[in-house]
Amino acid sequence: MILYVWKTQQLGIKTFEHLYMVFITLIIVIIIGISIGIFLYKRQNLSNIILNFLNAIESVPELALLVILIPLFGIGVKPTLVASVLYSILPIARNTYVGLTNVDFQYIEIARAIGLSDKEILWKVRIPLALPLLAAGIRIAIVFTMGVVTLGGLIAAGGLGGPIQTGIHLYDKNIIMVTGLWIGILAVLLDSMGNFFEILLRKRYGQ
Amino acid sequence: MAISKKLFNKIDCVKIEKVTKKYGHTIAVNQVSLEVCGGELLILLGPSGCGKTTLLRTINRLVEIDEGRILINGKDNRDFNLVILRKNIGYVIQQIGLFPHMTVRENIGLVPKLEGWSEAQITQKVKELLEIVSLPPEKFINRRPKELSGGQQQRVGLARAMVMDPSLLLMDEPFGALDPILRKQLQEEFIKIKERLNRTIIFVTHDIEEAFRLGDRIAILKEGKLIQLAKKNELLVNPADDFIADIVDSKKKFKHLENLTTSDIMIPLDKKYFFTSDSLTDSVIEGMVREDIELGIVMQKEKFLGYVKLQDLYQKNDKNLKHFIKQSLVFKPLDSIALALSMMKEKNEFIAVVVEEKPIGILLANEILSRLI
Repeated sequence: MILYVWKTQQLGIKTFEHLYMVFITLIIVIIIGISIGIFLYKRQNLSNIILNFLNAIESVPELALLVILIPLFGIGVKPTLVASVLYSILPIARNTYVGLTNVDFQYIEIARAIGLSDKEILWKVRIPLALPLLAAGIRIAIVFTMGVVTLGGLIAAGGLGGPIQTGIHLYDKNIIMVTGLWIGILAVLLDSMGNFFEILLRKRYGQ
Repeated sequence: MAISKKLFNKIDCVKIEKVTKKYGHTIAVNQVSLEVCGGELLILLGPSGCGKTTLLRTINRLVEIDEGRILINGKDNRDFNLVILRKNIGYVIQQIGLFPHMTVRENIGLVPKLEGWSEAQITQKVKELLEIVSLPPEKFINRRPKELSGGQQQRVGLARAMVMDPSLLLMDEPFGALDPILRKQLQEEFIKIKERLNRTIIFVTHDIEEAFRLGDRIAILKEGKLIQLAKKNELLVNPADDFIADIVDSKKKFKHLENLTTSDIMIPLDKKYFFTSDSLTDSVIEGMVREDIELGIVMQKEKFLGYVKLQDLYQKNDKNLKHFIKQSLVFKPLDSIALALSMMKEKNEFIAVVVEEKPIGILLANEILSRLI
């Protein structure tokens, strides 16, 4: 049954599409999220406004967000990517910001005392020590992105959301179950990979 | 990157002039004036909250002063480029603050790297400094702070402070968090390092013995004010007021040499100092690092064999602990301290052990002397 579904629904190719979208999203969201995090660290008075704004985006249901984006970006991959990115910026930006600001003060103090400039303190002390928290943020982003990309199947983005759609339309339990399980396994795998890196970073850079 | 120039080859004088620092309504430092001259070690001594740390931190401008000025070789410290000023002033604190994500080499070599030194230059300098602070470079250069005991971390902290060859060192209770015997050992080593380097040092402590042992001159502060600044013996003979008389007086009870016994002066030993003679060297090293001590008493069952020092254990790969044991003089608890002292001097021994059935305490030669001032 599994093989049958896998073949008829072309789950191999779909998985590839799916992961491709997830990775593109992650790359974009990591760049944007970290930049926002560092920006907020430098302009701490803006942090509340911007984090609240990102929070507001986060509270829009995923489905609604996809629908809202259709008039702007049409259907397919584009709005799905935009939605995933919007959705996943918050955990990364917030964790970067919290990680940078919450470095134990004694390290900042000694760094100043031995003559590091603010810029050097940011790059040599704050960012390395924020990496474990940043990794935790990326992990959350991975889970969010998996969810949104799957929903993207609804608006013809391809990926593993497609077969689920097909299953629902055809009332085919097998397709739904096999694909659903597969998405679940992928999500767990990706998350454990994230977890693995987080532990590594914590060992290396933990305070 | 531009290589910052050395600001001063020698600190001829740090002159603190009527410096005041307020935090809201509290006055942390109140109109303090003092002068530190080239090559000397000045102690800032006082109870917690007396403003000694704040005063120390005004010198490298971690604290900006409200009134007065601080002149380094005649130039106001606010006229220097802040980053360059700090690179020229070494700084050591009780919390040490080694960066957890960097190895020993990266920690010590951080500023040189930012200054554009070559990797070879950095490695050479780091090795040189590790030798000075008695850490065998090949064993320690690539370790992370987590893999070091507190005493070892503080040695690295000291090496980091010296890496740019600063002519001025600021030290804020660097040995304050260490085990009492280890603290004494590090003070001893520090005196040697100090003589070798001939730097101007300003050293904060609340430990009177430490002050008397290390300081050339001692400045006593109370509630933000400088009460007296004098040489050690002057403080004893000529205390400026009752407060100081009180501080110094606490030492008077040690002055009656003939009445004192070794048990009055010894530093008591507890369980963590004891190791059995059949232990493997590596496991003893591990135990000492875990307990943050650098001296161990070796026993064969109930019999006292001698002592071992952590630095010696690192020197060669030998599993047999017995090969590292050093014999020590042994005294009974009721032996007079005068006797102990003269014998230690005669044998040129730094350490002696007080034994009552089994070892109960350690005598350190300089410790005795400093308490008998």
